[in-house]
Amino acid sequence: MIELESIHRIFQVGEQQVHALNNINLTIKKGEYVSIMGPSGSGKSTLLNVISLLDQPSSGKYTLNNQVVTELNDDQLAQIRRKNIGFIFQFFHLIARYSAAENIEIPMILAGIPVKERKLRVEEALVDVGLQSRAYHRPDQLSGGQIQRVAIARAIIMRPQILLADEPTGNLDRRSGEEIIELIESLNQKKMTLVMITHDEILGCRAQRRIRLVDGKITQL
Amino acid sequence: MMVRDTLSFSWTAIKTQPLRVILIVLAMSIGITSVTILTALGESARLYIVNEFQALGTNLIIVLPGRTETTGGQPPLFGATPRDLTLADANALYRSHHIAAIAPISVGAAPVSIRGLEREVTILGSTSALRRVRHLSLSKGHFLPEMDIDRTLSICVIGQTIKDELFARQQAVGQWLRINDRRFRVIGVLASEGQSIGVDFDDMVIVPVASAQALFNTQSLFRILVETKSKEGMYKAVDDIRELIKLRHEGEDDVTLITQDSVVNTFDEILVALTLTVASIASISLAVAGILVMNVMWVSVTQRTAEIGLLKALGATQRQILWLFLTEAAMVSIAGALSGLLLGKVILLILQVSYPEFPLYLPMWAVFSALAVALLTALIFGVLPARQAAKMNAVTALNKR
Amino acid sequence: MQYFDIINLAYKTVISHKLRSILTALGMVIGIASVIVLTSIGRGVHAFVLTEFTQFGTNLIAVFPGKTTTLGLSGATISTVRPLSIADAISLGELENIIAALPLVQGNARIETGKKQRRTTVLGVGAAVPEIWKIKVARGRFLPKNEQANPRAFAVLGDKLAAQLFAKTSPLGQRIRIGNDRYRVLGVMEKKGQMMGFDMDDTVYIPTAKALEMFNRESVMEIDLLYNKNTQVKAIEKQISNLLQRRHGREDFSIITQDQMLKSMDSILNILTLAVAALGGISLLVGSVGILTIMTVAVSERISEIGLLRAVGAEKAMIFKLFLSEALVLSVIGGVIGIFLGIFIVQSIKFMVPGLPVQLAWGYICTAFIISLLIGVIAGVIPAIKAARLRPLEALRSE
Repeated sequence: MIELESIHRIFQVGEQQVHALNNINLTIKKGEYVSIMGPSGSGKSTLLNVISLLDQPSSGKYTLNNQVVTELNDDQLAQIRRKNIGFIFQFFHLIARYSAAENIEIPMILAGIPVKERKLRVEEALVDVGLQSRAYHRPDQLSGGQIQRVAIARAIIMRPQILLADEPTGNLDRRSGEEIIELIESLNQKKMTLVMITHDEILGCRAQRRIRLVDGKITQL
Repeated sequence: MMVRDTLSFSWTAIKTQPLRVILIVLAMSIGITSVTILTALGESARLYIVNEFQALGTNLIIVLPGRTETTGGQPPLFGATPRDLTLADANALYRSHHIAAIAPISVGAAPVSIRGLEREVTILGSTSALRRVRHLSLSKGHFLPEMDIDRTLSICVIGQTIKDELFARQQAVGQWLRINDRRFRVIGVLASEGQSIGVDFDDMVIVPVASAQALFNTQSLFRILVETKSKEGMYKAVDDIRELIKLRHEGEDDVTLITQDSVVNTFDEILVALTLTVASIASISLAVAGILVMNVMWVSVTQRTAEIGLLKALGATQRQILWLFLTEAAMVSIAGALSGLLLGKVILLILQVSYPEFPLYLPMWAVFSALAVALLTALIFGVLPARQAAKMNAVTALNKR
Repeated sequence: MQYFDIINLAYKTVISHKLRSILTALGMVIGIASVIVLTSIGRGVHAFVLTEFTQFGTNLIAVFPGKTTTLGLSGATISTVRPLSIADAISLGELENIIAALPLVQGNARIETGKKQRRTTVLGVGAAVPEIWKIKVARGRFLPKNEQANPRAFAVLGDKLAAQLFAKTSPLGQRIRIGNDRYRVLGVMEKKGQMMGFDMDDTVYIPTAKALEMFNRESVMEIDLLYNKNTQVKAIEKQISNLLQRRHGREDFSIITQDQMLKSMDSILNILTLAVAALGGISLLVGSVGILTIMTVAVSERISEIGLLRAVGAEKAMIFKLFLSEALVLSVIGGVIGIFLGIFIVQSIKFMVPGLPVQLAWGYICTAFIISLLIGVIAGVIPAIKAARLRPLEALRSE
């Protein structure tokens, strides 16, 4: 479902050109569990951004669900993101003034889903991540692990086919990190494609397929 | 912490948020500009009118026939009276040694014609003294000559408008014109006065007062203009006039005396009140600008919590933090006041160029009070957020973020 | 995404920054309230002046001696070689559709009773005063009709003058001296108060012909005419003009209709109201700069939030709408509170200073509300565009 063909991404930093992605060819099938690893500056974040449609490659072809997405404009990309991709960030990115339930609701509001259905789905999602009792707490009243659970609930609320996680445990202690990983993996078992960035070897090895990046090139598939 | 350091510290804080600061400066300067312009307009109008009144003549007393005892009402400006003010009354006033000149005035309207051109014109009967009392100047010929007050003479002095309409480009002096059924020779043309309050001398024919009375078949005078020898003599002259007229009117006090300074003072007071009202309405906008300063200061206190915590950890006292934020507010406000003054000055200049006949003047006190008000606004509205910053607990502030 | 949701999100955001939102709205509140209070005072003065003018009725025409084009007095009022006479007034009164004619002379003289005396205004008038000027006689009666040309020496006193001269005794039938002539008091008028700075109660009314004699004049100062309401002013004006031209042989008079007076008065007062509205508008302008500032702050504070919204699929237009709605919510809340505050202040002024004429100017209130909407849009657009233009990736990264 994700097909990358000779993708390049070049940044202009002052006078210098930085080749962040150098001729990437990668296919990820539906339901796969892929980890992307590599030292910092190896281009793994750039790769994730390209996959997640937040960034456009300088050259190459990206086909998502048999649709070429390299030619689409900003708003079309936003709509595809909304329907197909769920995000989990290292820094959680919850809106501080909204409650857990409201944060989870946001993608559905953007998609124009009726209020009744929204309430139902938020409740389900809260049950799925085990936070029923925390629905009306604001992020500053939740622990790191709980915040990341809210973020996961938000990521899956639109029932996307792809889940992208960027160092999801990077800002958590060991125990809640493990809980989060188990939660994410359980989603993968429900046929959700999972792509995870990490520089934690142990974590990366849990994936069925491991990709290693060095200097913008894939060195191990 | 030295004042210089406080200033430079605040300055760097301002520099990091240029757009925000520009907007506050804009808000402040809109307020200051409008207050400045409105004060300047009001003050200029006041000066203009006071000057106009002074141009009417100096040390002037106006004697009107009739008197009412109604309080608060206007003096009997246009009414008729059973006992007229006469030329003999006017002549009698010379007995007061405080009086320098007397111009009796008789007014009416009559058709003025020359070779088939006719116009209804205000006819003013007076004497040679009118020129001195009203500071009139001539563009051509002479004014009425000195002569006995009760002598009729068929001569006249015409205003600029009358000259243009009846004589066009011809020489007017020496020509004859007809007022109703009498013929008068033009001996002079008045220089144009432009717009003057009260009387439009441009659209007027001046004849000897006795001739005017004959023309309108009346003995009465419309009023008598009296110029006193000195300002101090004014009130003595008022008493003298009252006595003299009373003596001549069988002991009855039946004239109204208006001194020039009482008129000027009344207008002065009205215009000062008006200027203050308008300026204070405009300064509501300064309060709104002050609220904005407070709001933004509050935002910046919240955003800089960590910074405040750090400063406290490094040993800043509450007072120092308070002054840091107040200085910031003051700097922005003063910038707003200065740019507002500048903008106001520019607009006034443009107005001045467009209306050169109305002299505009921005009083110094307005400039200083604008600056003072802006500074005061900043301090008043800045003090709450600044206090909040000063009172912050160092540990919680540091731990934020 | 539904509009309700956008507004709801914006509202929640506004509420979450309580202090900031209150202060921002306060700017609008002050602006709108001052516009409303000022225009209400303007409108009140407008109504007050117009009633002062129309208390004589609107179907009035005044004829003055002398040809003037401006509303000011010409020298002809004082003396003129072409007088307007009582006979002119009488024949004008006989015109079709003219209900009454009133030749008027105004002057100043001493009034004496046995013991007391007072200098005051003398009005030389006809019998039609109560009808034309809409003043009622309180006691006795007014000057008799059909005596215009050769009247008897009757006088009617204003309320204050009667009180001054006669205190508690009845003035009716008493003899008084005005100038050098003796008059008999026929009646006392009801209290009328000041009108255009002229105390109507400190006056004495005598027949026009007597007044002309006393003041040694030929011409009346003004002839007031009351005409039939159902006729065209223009037609009547023409009739009057024709008649007087026939009698005088030329056009040596000026006609001013109450209509013209009211119209020019109305336009002057409207400009005045507009001017004070503009004065209040300065505060509104500053208030809108306030909203602009706060929205700019809001965008810069919430860049990473914008990034997140874009990542989870919000289009540019959505972000734009969100921020625009926030500005709108702020300005509308401010506007509505301002309107209520303004109305409240106006009502309190009415209650506490009953003498001050205030009247709610609904037209301006509606305009003020629409302006507050517009301010929201204008002040919201620039920050909203800035928010919508942010690149999602960079926005997400900023912290």
